Amino acid sequence: MQHKNPLIAAQLGLDPMTWAAALDKNHIPFVAVLPVFLMQQAAARASPSRWYWAVPYVAVTLLALSMLAVVWLLQARETAVERDALARDLQWTEQSMRRAMLSTEEFLVQLARDLSAGTLDHDRFQLGANEHLAVNPALTNIAWVDRDQVVTWSAPFDTRDLLVGEALIDDQVQAFQNSALSARLTYGQPFLGGRGEAVLEVYAPVLRRGDSLGAIVAVYSVERMVSRLVPGRFAEQYRLAILDRDGRALTLSSALPPAQAPLSLTLALDPPGNGMALQAMAFRPGGSLLRTLPTALILGLSLLVLWSLWTLRRHVQRRVQVEKERDQLFDLSLDLLCVIDLDGRFWRCNPAFERVLGLDPQRLPGRSLIDFVHHDDVAITLAMLRRLAGGEPVGLENRCLCADGSYKWLMWSINPVREERLVYAVAHDVTGRKATEDALRAESAFRKAMEDSMVTGLRAIDLSGRIIYVNTAFCRMIGFDEHELVGAGPPFPYWPPEHLAECERNLSMTLSGRAPRSGFEMRIRRKNGERFDARFYLSPLIDLTGRQTGWMASITDITEPKRVRAALESAHERFEAVLDGLDAAVFVADARTDEILFANLAFKRIHGFDAVGRTVRGVAVPQPERGDYRVDPRNLSPTDVPRELFDGELQHPVSGRWYHVREQATRWVDGRVVRMGIATDITDRKQTAEVAREQEERLQRTARLITMGEMASTLAHELNQPLAAIANYCAGSVTRLQAGNAKIEDVLGAMQKASFQAERAGKIIRRVREFVKKSEPRRCAVNIAEVLEDAIGFADIDARRTGIRIHIEVEADLPRVYADRIMIEQVLLNLIRNGLDAMADTLPEARVLAVRVRTSGAEAVEIAVVDRGHGISEEGRAQLFTPFYTTKTEGMGMGLNICRSIVEFHNGRLLVDANPEGGTIFSFTLPTESAIERSARSA
Amino acid sequence: MSVAPAAPDQIVHVVDDDEALRDSLVWMLEANGYAVSAHDSGEAFLAACGATMTGCILLDVRMPGMSGLEVFEELGRRRCGLPVVFITGHGDVPMAVSALKQGAVDFIEKPFGERDILRLVEQCLQLERDTRDRRLQEADTTRRLGQLTQREREVLELIIVGRLNKQIADTLGISIKTVEVHRARVMEKMGAQSLAELVQHVVALDPGASAR
Repeated sequence: MQHKNPLIAAQLGLDPMTWAAALDKNHIPFVAVLPVFLMQQAAARASPSRWYWAVPYVAVTLLALSMLAVVWLLQARETAVERDALARDLQWTEQSMRRAMLSTEEFLVQLARDLSAGTLDHDRFQLGANEHLAVNPALTNIAWVDRDQVVTWSAPFDTRDLLVGEALIDDQVQAFQNSALSARLTYGQPFLGGRGEAVLEVYAPVLRRGDSLGAIVAVYSVERMVSRLVPGRFAEQYRLAILDRDGRALTLSSALPPAQAPLSLTLALDPPGNGMALQAMAFRPGGSLLRTLPTALILGLSLLVLWSLWTLRRHVQRRVQVEKERDQLFDLSLDLLCVIDLDGRFWRCNPAFERVLGLDPQRLPGRSLIDFVHHDDVAITLAMLRRLAGGEPVGLENRCLCADGSYKWLMWSINPVREERLVYAVAHDVTGRKATEDALRAESAFRKAMEDSMVTGLRAIDLSGRIIYVNTAFCRMIGFDEHELVGAGPPFPYWPPEHLAECERNLSMTLSGRAPRSGFEMRIRRKNGERFDARFYLSPLIDLTGRQTGWMASITDITEPKRVRAALESAHERFEAVLDGLDAAVFVADARTDEILFANLAFKRIHGFDAVGRTVRGVAVPQPERGDYRVDPRNLSPTDVPRELFDGELQHPVSGRWYHVREQATRWVDGRVVRMGIATDITDRKQTAEVAREQEERLQRTARLITMGEMASTLAHELNQPLAAIANYCAGSVTRLQAGNAKIEDVLGAMQKASFQAERAGKIIRRVREFVKKSEPRRCAVNIAEVLEDAIGFADIDARRTGIRIHIEVEADLPRVYADRIMIEQVLLNLIRNGLDAMADTLPEARVLAVRVRTSGAEAVEIAVVDRGHGISEEGRAQLFTPFYTTKTEGMGMGLNICRSIVEFHNGRLLVDANPEGGTIFSFTLPTESAIERSARSA
Repeated sequence: MSVAPAAPDQIVHVVDDDEALRDSLVWMLEANGYAVSAHDSGEAFLAACGATMTGCILLDVRMPGMSGLEVFEELGRRRCGLPVVFITGHGDVPMAVSALKQGAVDFIEKPFGERDILRLVEQCLQLERDTRDRRLQEADTTRRLGQLTQREREVLELIIVGRLNKQIADTLGISIKTVEVHRARVMEKMGAQSLAELVQHVVALDPGASAR
């Protein structure tokens, strides 16, 4: 995912920083979306088992139970604490009561002792008793009862019980007797006193030497015991009760009823020991409400949670149902559905991806759509993503890669959800439609092109003669617009006014169905008034039900065909005229039978006008022999042609004329292989070439003659020399012989010298003859040094005359050159003589002409003629080779021109350079023998 | 062919670079009784050339180094009066003509006949002999002129230009008698028998004198 980012960022035109920021923003929706997504996933997956629904219920119940347990435990602990506190408090209360009662017992015992001792009189008793009563509010009375059980003394003064003189009753007696018998302090049974109050009496026997003197009795008001002997705090928290033996409450500290299921504790009031008990019941602060509230809350809240769970479940079930339907929609959709983020990465894809593209929808999330888009569509897809990022809904068509590597056309409709930075995309496989569209488009384009390119006009009329359809070709043909024609009835706008009658006749013929099948020609007019010929072909217009609804006419502008026919005819004529106008004889003959299929006028003129139909071998001379062909034309198949068979020059055996004959195997119009031959009379050309060659030779020879002519005086001098010598020798000898004084040896010597001179003269003559003799150019291997020697032989005569030294530098072991000896001598002589002439004005000591011969590269020899003469100016050099350009008074101006022709004939070049020491260097190259051999071999 | 008697002191000088021609010429001339001296170049000849040379010169026009004409000019400068015959090749005729104008005796074209060359040689030698005689005559005349007095010389000059005695007397401001005396003295001193002889002697000595 990360590795795609820079690429996509670049493609989206965002810089990486922006991209990172966008990623951060993306992070939030991702987290937000995930749980929903997971729930949806879970709901989708776990529909068969609904165990997860029990979990919240069980959980809530467990929670409630555990809460209740905690509450119960807390309350139990609280109760225990309270009970402890109660026990403690009750103990404490009982102790304090007991202490009070013990003090009273001690007082009573003291009184009894005092009484028995006789130290107590009534006043003292009254005083003591009243004092005691004052500090013991629980006591109501203290009295002395004598042995007869009559109250003797009674305190306080204002008592309304135990009045002096009263006798004890029922229970009192029992208690009195018990105390008397046990001689111990005894508590009587509590009983209801005179005012309806429960009272408790305690009897302290008064004994005197074993005799009972009665008893001191103290009366406790049970109610007061509760109200006065218990601290106020205790009374606030607890309701105290004193129970009798039977457990009946004798008194209550508070009229307030204790809580339900009160915490109570009963403690036996031991001192009376007659079954009295002190009971304390705690007043619960807040009462039972406080105790039950947590439980109630827990239960209530649990119920609420359960209820809400149930409601949620119902809601979820509805949602699940809806989602299930949506998932069905998603999964079963034949279209591709997917969730994509704005970077083009898949979040979710439906199974249609597998069906349409063969891509596993589970593997797609995280991958980028761009990876699957055909590279031609990447740009528009990225543009789409940008538009989506801008919040626009988009639709586009692109090609996506299938798993098998093919591409399918998808039509996307995408609506972005901007807040989520996600898009919900629907893609429809439109490959088929696309193909159909393409086919339709092609078809439509084809039909359009057909209709546009069709030159045949179409026009339909209904049975009443009204135009119901025209095609563009017809509109184009006549120049009217479609709307001007459709609906029009006769006379139609394209009817020329001057032919209305004929047009109407044709229409009625058409409507009556009598139009000829081969059509009819009619002259119609264009909108611009132009008239033209058109041919109409009529056919009935049948609708789908097979009923004839009108007539369809196809109209052809036959102006062009007429012109084309004429053009073709004239083209054919031209072709024939051209072929017949050729000087070359042209024929076409069957390759197998040699039958002449075509012959042009020139052929017929040469070989007879009945040539066509006869065999080429029978009439055409010259003909290449069968063996001269490159391939035997009889074996060629139509696939082998065209192929050249022969190209050469042949001489007519009778007329002696030369023909250039060229034959080619080709395919004839009917498909068979034919020989096409062209024979051109080249006699004149050949003669011309011959003449030109001869002229060139003559020119060169003439040039040599001219050279000789120019050298005539020199040569004559040279020739005169030996001649004069011979004459002298002869004359001298004759004179001597006549005189008779001749010595034989002397005369003999002179004669030998004379004959030597004759030889010398002959050599010169021979050299001149050779130089000017008429001969064909003949190149052969030549020793250049020898040729140079010959040339110098001539030139030296002039050189000697003008006092010029010819310096020859010939490289040793020069290869032989391939050249015509005479021609090269001519060139050398010409160049040397030019050099000599150029030095006419040179100082005598500088009069040296150098001829250098050396190899130039591996395959050429360079000859340079270097003079120290006046040199040649730039413009002179440019004109140097122009025919008839000369600086000499006697020259013809052909010398250098011919030299150059000769050098070039020898594949060399004649160059002119200025001599740095003054003068001019003429140089040329000649190919060596081996170079020619090599090129001949390679050729 | 009769051999013309040549003065024994006369030598035919052959100057030609071509060895064959030179040799053959020597062979032929010697056969005819001439004394021949051969030189292979102009320079060699000029080196051997002295004032006492007699005879004639056969000079090849076309030679490497100094050409015949150059040699001829040099000879002129050296006042060598030997007659010169140019030997030319074909086509050297214009050159030879210009040589003739400068005083060459003649020219002969190669190849030449024996008779022609011998005639020319003889002619040259004759000419040389004549020249030599004339030289002696001139020397005599010069000597005699030296014997004339100033006045006699003046009279002589006027006589040569054809003045009459009277005219001479008027010109010189002297009497005719005196002129006649001077004239007789001049004739005597010059050894002239007649006026014509006198004039011939003096003009031979100084060809420009008559024009003056």
